[in-house]
Amino acid sequence: MKTPIGFRFPWRSRRQIAAEVESELAFHLGMRAAALEAQGMARDVAEAQARAEFGDVEFTRDYCRTQDEAGERVMQWSDRLESTWYDVRHAVRSLWRTPGFTAIVVFTIALVLGANTAVFSAVHALLLRPLPYGDPDALVTVMDSSYAGTFIGAAPLSPPDYIDYRTQQHTFTDIAGYSDATETWLPADGDPELIRAALVTENMFNVLRAVPRVGRTLIPSDGAPDAANVVVISSTFFERALGGNPARIGETLLLDGQATRVVGVMPPGFTLGRRADLWIPLDLRADLGNPNRTRKQHWLHGIGRIRPGVSARAATEDLALISKRLALAYPDADGNSVAVTQSLRSWLIGSVGNGLGLLQGAALLVLLIACANIANLTLSRALDRRRDMAVRAALGSGRARLIRQVLTESILVAAMGGILGIALAYAATRWLLALDANALPALYPVSVDGTVLCVGAVLALGTGLLSSLAPAFAVSRLDLQQALKDGGRGSSGGHAVERARRALVVVQVALAVTLLVGAGLLVRSFRALDAVSPGFDPDGVLTAELSVKGTRYDTATAVNRFYDDALGELARTPGVVLVGAASTLPTRGDVGTSMRIEGQINDESKLPDMGYVAVRGDYFRALRIPLLAGRFFDASDGDSAAPSVAVINATALHKYFPDGAIGRRIHIGPSPTGPAITIVGIVGDVHARGPGDPVRPTLFAYHRQQAWQTSLSVVARTHGDPIALTGALRRAIHDADPTVAIHDVATLKGVTSEVLAPRRFALALVAGFAVLALILAVVGIYGVLAYLVAGRRREFGVRLALGATQRSVVLLVLRQGLLWVAIGLAAGLVAANAERMLLAASLYGVTAGDPVTYVAVTLLLLAVATVACLIPAVRATRVDPVVAMRAD
Amino acid sequence: MQKTPTEMLQGTVDLLVLRALAWESMHGYAISRWLEGRSAGVLQVDGAALYQALHRLQRRGWVTSVWGVSENNRRARFYRLTRTGTTHLHASVAVWHNYAHAVAQVLAPQ
Repeated sequence: MKTPIGFRFPWRSRRQIAAEVESELAFHLGMRAAALEAQGMARDVAEAQARAEFGDVEFTRDYCRTQDEAGERVMQWSDRLESTWYDVRHAVRSLWRTPGFTAIVVFTIALVLGANTAVFSAVHALLLRPLPYGDPDALVTVMDSSYAGTFIGAAPLSPPDYIDYRTQQHTFTDIAGYSDATETWLPADGDPELIRAALVTENMFNVLRAVPRVGRTLIPSDGAPDAANVVVISSTFFERALGGNPARIGETLLLDGQATRVVGVMPPGFTLGRRADLWIPLDLRADLGNPNRTRKQHWLHGIGRIRPGVSARAATEDLALISKRLALAYPDADGNSVAVTQSLRSWLIGSVGNGLGLLQGAALLVLLIACANIANLTLSRALDRRRDMAVRAALGSGRARLIRQVLTESILVAAMGGILGIALAYAATRWLLALDANALPALYPVSVDGTVLCVGAVLALGTGLLSSLAPAFAVSRLDLQQALKDGGRGSSGGHAVERARRALVVVQVALAVTLLVGAGLLVRSFRALDAVSPGFDPDGVLTAELSVKGTRYDTATAVNRFYDDALGELARTPGVVLVGAASTLPTRGDVGTSMRIEGQINDESKLPDMGYVAVRGDYFRALRIPLLAGRFFDASDGDSAAPSVAVINATALHKYFPDGAIGRRIHIGPSPTGPAITIVGIVGDVHARGPGDPVRPTLFAYHRQQAWQTSLSVVARTHGDPIALTGALRRAIHDADPTVAIHDVATLKGVTSEVLAPRRFALALVAGFAVLALILAVVGIYGVLAYLVAGRRREFGVRLALGATQRSVVLLVLRQGLLWVAIGLAAGLVAANAERMLLAASLYGVTAGDPVTYVAVTLLLLAVATVACLIPAVRATRVDPVVAMRAD
Repeated sequence: MQKTPTEMLQGTVDLLVLRALAWESMHGYAISRWLEGRSAGVLQVDGAALYQALHRLQRRGWVTSVWGVSENNRRARFYRLTRTGTTHLHASVAVWHNYAHAVAQVLAPQ
């Protein structure tokens, strides 16, 4: 066997080298001078002669020193390399000898690092990467702060307001506007398809300073009245529609029945927030031609670029000034609205940023717990190997060398765990995204890339170092003589080490409690949300969005005929029970309108705000929305020629019609002189924006009478699995009109659960982290206590031999373990209390101080910890006093 | 007897030093004496060239040194040929013989 640590002279310093060269040369000169003296020369003559014969002494001295120093450096490096290599080999061997320990530690690190890296890949993609625009920090959204009375929060601008802001401001380079839309694309071969698009003002790309990948973006002349139809497309759509061939830029696509020329392709990842494949110049002329009406229609999102040197506050004040002027000029439409700005980044990231921050925090907590756990395991191991260490120290290994050995092992394990963990993260991100593509905003692709890998590697290294701090400290404090004497069987590694181990357990428990409380609150919120009755029955219903467009559907008659045909066809399909359609499905939001009630004085400045949904067919029956009074729509209600009828929900009834609503006549929309609508029925409440949002007073219009709205979502209640009827649904609609695009065929259950998808996603992760934390903490308690019991075997043996009852020994151990748990629990509950603020935004239906959660977490932790303590405690009573005492 | 050129080729000194150490481990002064005696006084390597060669060879790993005591009880640094040094010496000697033989052939009076 090779000597572990090579025997060689210690490294030489520069001064030593110089002295050696000096004395070597002096020796030569002295010898030569002596020889010459022996031949009869005088001493001083002989010395001079020796020097003369030697040649250039000065140069030789420098030359030799340089050579020696260079050689010494190489030697030192190769020595270091060799000793590191030795450390690594020794570490591998000793880890190999304890496969259980190694596997547990590697697996723990892999798990927590995988979780951290996976979450970080999302944080990196969404929060850290720069937006795909030039100088994005100067970009803000421009929105309206009050919209239709009661709606709180920012709303899009109306087109005339947008133009006023754009032309009257002094603090922006420019303000652009956009609106999400869908376009029906008719490929040369194949069925029509709905493509997500954004209608953008022609200055949008200039404001964003977004550069195309191929071709050009939009230019001012694209917005001119007689301009040809042009479109800028996404990279993905470029591949699909034009085969990714740059030479085909300039070809036309059939969009909504119009030949539209492709002028440019945006780079991958370009977006205005929502996934879109087409950017089409927005024609505002029609809207601006009728500002009285359109000033109340808020659908244009504003994005402005603040001038260099202007603060965001000054820009907002500039806009607010314009808002004041608008309010004076148009009190009816703009009386209560004030323009607000928000940094584009924070608007795009929205609430996801908060959630991701929480997730990363949770993941890091788990990482810390894991570090504590590994530190404890490594500590136990180091104590077990005290004898080995003491022998090596006696043979000349310095303490620094022993500490380095501990560090090498930790880093080696961390590296293995890290590689495994990053692979795990890679798989996890792909799996999670495949599982739930809607959980994260489409801003960037989430993936494990170079930066994420680096962070993963740094975390792995950090884990290795952090978890080896305590063991390294313990090794440095080892009483080696004692260790040699008692042969490594003794109980503990000194008081300092024991205290460190207990502190680690306390910290673990505290961190785990913090996580458990957070997860508990989120679970309770989710259950509360899930328990909210949606107001309809989403099971067994198939839905699809239809986009009915083009000149053939310019008349209400044509739209009605199509829907009568399509719904009729669908109703005749075997397996379909009830068929209806609505302008928006529950949980997909709604549009608003204002309402005037006949027979009462309407305050024009505070008109009731109503959600507006147009429905036809057996929509209510298909969704099992209950009829509370009056009747549903039926064919006898006629079309736009007949008197208009409407159905309202219970909330609207209670809020606006305390004396009953059936038979009451109302007017909706901005004009007080519009046609009257008679309320014929009252239906149950439906949460239109998802279970977390309050029910809004809603008016359901009869679509046959409001056929100006051409695109609807059809709903079909089916026997059995609705998805099985997907083909039949497509066929039925295709039979009614083959050019109509069918989009988003899905079960209603799927559609409505989308609303909770991000929450479910985050919840699953946080709950997973919390469970992981609990397991780690419990393993930590168990490990330390088991070690303690093993070390005090003799003491327990003596106690039992002297007549102590088994019960008293169990209690002794249990008391010890539960004391640490109690301290950790208390600290954790205090920390959890501090975390309230962070969580408040993510909670629903529970307060951050929810006692149920706190009590449940406390009980759970105590129960699990007791079991973990009980196992070693009972083992302590199994000690055979004779064996235990003979063991020493 | 002709005087040797003072500027001998560096490679030549290296070769001579290695050859000297192949005989036995020596300190620098002994090497110069050995070379002088072995060449019957023809090759007088001056001290500067000798020590530069020794330290250069040591850096290349062809010789190593250790401090010892000289015949007159003075502290002296003894050099020893390493295994790679021996290999190098054999290779260099072969090259040198070929070279010297070729030069001799060219210079030989016909």
